Amino acid sequence: MFSRILVANRGEIALRIIRACKELGVETVAVFSEADRDASYLHLADDRICIGPAPSSQSYLNIPRIIAAAEIADVQAIHPGYGFLAENAHFAEICRDCKIEFIGPSVASMRALGDKIRAKELARAARVPVAPDSKGEVETVDDAVAVANRIGYPVALKAAAGGGGRGIRFAHNEATLRSVFKQARSEAEAAFKDGRLYMEKCVENFRHIEVQVLGDMRGQIVHLYERECSVQRRRQKLIEETPAPGLDRDVREEICAAAVRLAKEVEYYSAGTVEFMLDSGGEFYFLEANTRIQVEHPVTEVVVGEDLLKWQLRIASGEKLDLSQHHVKQVGAGIECRINAEDPEHGFRPSPGRVEAFVAPGGPGVRWDSHVYQGYEIPSAYDSLVGKLVVHRPTRAEAIATARRALDEFVIYPTKTTISLCREVLSHQKFLKGEWETTFIESQMLAAAR
Amino acid sequence: MDIKDIRQLVKLMVENDLSELEIADGPSKVHLRRGADPSQVAAVAPGPQAVAPPAPGPAAGDTQVEPAENLVEIRSPMVGTFYTASSPDSEPYIQAGSAVTEDAVVCIVEAMKVMNEIKAECTGVVREVCVNNAQPVEFGQVLFRVKPS
Repeated sequence: MFSRILVANRGEIALRIIRACKELGVETVAVFSEADRDASYLHLADDRICIGPAPSSQSYLNIPRIIAAAEIADVQAIHPGYGFLAENAHFAEICRDCKIEFIGPSVASMRALGDKIRAKELARAARVPVAPDSKGEVETVDDAVAVANRIGYPVALKAAAGGGGRGIRFAHNEATLRSVFKQARSEAEAAFKDGRLYMEKCVENFRHIEVQVLGDMRGQIVHLYERECSVQRRRQKLIEETPAPGLDRDVREEICAAAVRLAKEVEYYSAGTVEFMLDSGGEFYFLEANTRIQVEHPVTEVVVGEDLLKWQLRIASGEKLDLSQHHVKQVGAGIECRINAEDPEHGFRPSPGRVEAFVAPGGPGVRWDSHVYQGYEIPSAYDSLVGKLVVHRPTRAEAIATARRALDEFVIYPTKTTISLCREVLSHQKFLKGEWETTFIESQMLAAAR
Repeated sequence: MDIKDIRQLVKLMVENDLSELEIADGPSKVHLRRGADPSQVAAVAPGPQAVAPPAPGPAAGDTQVEPAENLVEIRSPMVGTFYTASSPDSEPYIQAGSAVTEDAVVCIVEAMKVMNEIKAECTGVVREVCVNNAQPVEFGQVLFRVKPS
């Protein structure tokens, strides 16, 4: 096991990493930007190093500064968290070239799965179902039209270097496709420095089902079952749960087995997630693979009873994944609500600033993962995640009741949050029946409110 | 073990310049650590927490700062290792009392094997060298204090 690692992230995931390290006896050195200087979680780390001013490009995304910090802190490994440099294969490569272990998968698998076109080829090779698509890059608008005619409208035009719901454009007919093509290319170029596009048949009204996988450096790979992440606002997840409600047992086994096949195809190790689209007919298609620990990992942790961060640390230090598939079981039901500092009454605009009053929920079945406390100043420079409310109960109905109870206990003032939106979803008939699709918030709830 | 005992232990540590002390007395145990951050000190035995006196900060080269003066701080623009001279055999670029101008090189901060020359970006006389040679520095750390002219 490592004796000291660098935490190259901030906020709640930095705190999560520090907690796992403390329990494993690993010393932590946390980096921070000037905007995070007063965050109290930094004092839970054994040491802390300021790496730059607030802008991410000069701090959390700045590879030379992070590596310099790792060198002066004399650490053996770096945990990148999620976001920032977590899926940056170049960064992982530099770490390892500097003889600092990168707590995550191999550079090769990050490159392979990070390129969405390549990822689909690998999925096909691993006999993972994929939506009908362009089978590679779509170079010109005429190519795009030809592919769309072959696979049928509606189509989704996606950036090869995209992911996380970004860089996607839809077209229901040729005219729209012709008009969005050029824009899609320039947006991809600007956002990801890679203008390559591919096209897929649009799976409309799908459920987002993803599978958590864990692998070690000796080739052992297991899945820790699925998460349903269909409650989204503008393609950003809001509520996640496991087990996926009403999912046929055979379909569950097939999706999880498919995820493991893909992971094996790239000799994956560390924690990763394979995402799928499940259509109303019960067919599932590969969406993308994420080569990092995810925001919603706690909901799997509570239901399967494993600490994913500790596994990442063990695996990265060369230990065996001492977990056999038949010992992995889902017990009870888990629900996670992401609480973001956003104002639902003003288009979800960010609500940064000082949290004057704050009381977190508690009690049976409640886990609260957050770096926020009363008096904390939420910076405007980063994402708006305040914390994750995770509940675990013997049944889904009880989990929903506990989540509602916990959401009601929150005191957070004057910060505006998505607590009320989560509350509404958890009371909605469709959610209670387990019938939710990724576009529901926009189509069913916000539309009705207008 | 009560607060009086713990105060005695703290006194013992300060007098003998100890940084860490652990004492076990039957079932109760006390572990005291002096560091720059007072929150690092903890008493393990049931009872009141020990409070360490404020320990010297990481910048061991501090001299007395005249509080009334408006000194300009030269801060590190990067993370790395501070060197006072361009090489181990060279003279330091500056020391307390040196005059500096905007373009004067005041030190080196090394990061990833690259030696970066840090400029004064102010004019005046150096009052204090705040860090030691070969000390790791973070972004924004105060390296020198200069009395501007």
